[in-house]
Amino acid sequence: MKMEMRRALARESYEEKIRKVGQLIALTKAFPRRTPARSRPPNSMTLSESQIPYRTKKPKG
Amino acid sequence: MNEPHSSLPLADVLQAANGLVKAGLIQDYAIGGALAAIHYVEPFATYDADIFFIPADQGLTAGIPAIYAHLKSLGWQVDGEHLMVKGFPVQFLTAQGLTEEAVREAQNIRFEGIPAKVFRAEHIVAIAAGVGRKKDLARIEQMLQQAEMDQTRLKKILERHKLKLPKL
Repeated sequence: MKMEMRRALARESYEEKIRKVGQLIALTKAFPRRTPARSRPPNSMTLSESQIPYRTKKPKG
Repeated sequence: MNEPHSSLPLADVLQAANGLVKAGLIQDYAIGGALAAIHYVEPFATYDADIFFIPADQGLTAGIPAIYAHLKSLGWQVDGEHLMVKGFPVQFLTAQGLTEEAVREAQNIRFEGIPAKVFRAEHIVAIAAGVGRKKDLARIEQMLQQAEMDQTRLKKILERHKLKLPKL
């Protein structure tokens, strides 16, 4: 995703972003990936944290 | 196509946290972790909500048994290190040092009309710099690219806690 689009998403309201997080969680549960993606950016909206190779554990802090 | 159902009950989490303050079980709290970062950057999926709190009880347990009892009375369930609300895991973490400062200086927000606090962008970056795992470095990069950052505030926080931003 282009940086300008990502920045536009970042500027959305917190409520809207949390709603989208809920949708992403639901999608992740419905369509779990079997192999980790290697080349996508860690903050792409199409990935969950668990699908990023170095994000294998629960986030902290 | 049917949209997936939103399953993130953040309003319930914040109401419960406000209830803990009102009941005198915690002094103060703020949203930290990934959900705090999402306040400033594009949305991404996360496993849980991290709520950092300053305990009212300064004893060894930080009042955690009473906090758990209060939340369980509201119907929350305990699952390992998490408390579950409507199937969503929440962690209540005792704030100390940098995270305590982050709670005290957190930004006041309203979420669906509910008053709450969320870590400031500068504290999120400083905490990630202090933890320093790969995912924290990714968070720093994301925050610096997308969030509006008060560079003076960030510099002061980093200096105060003897931290440095990693080379990205």
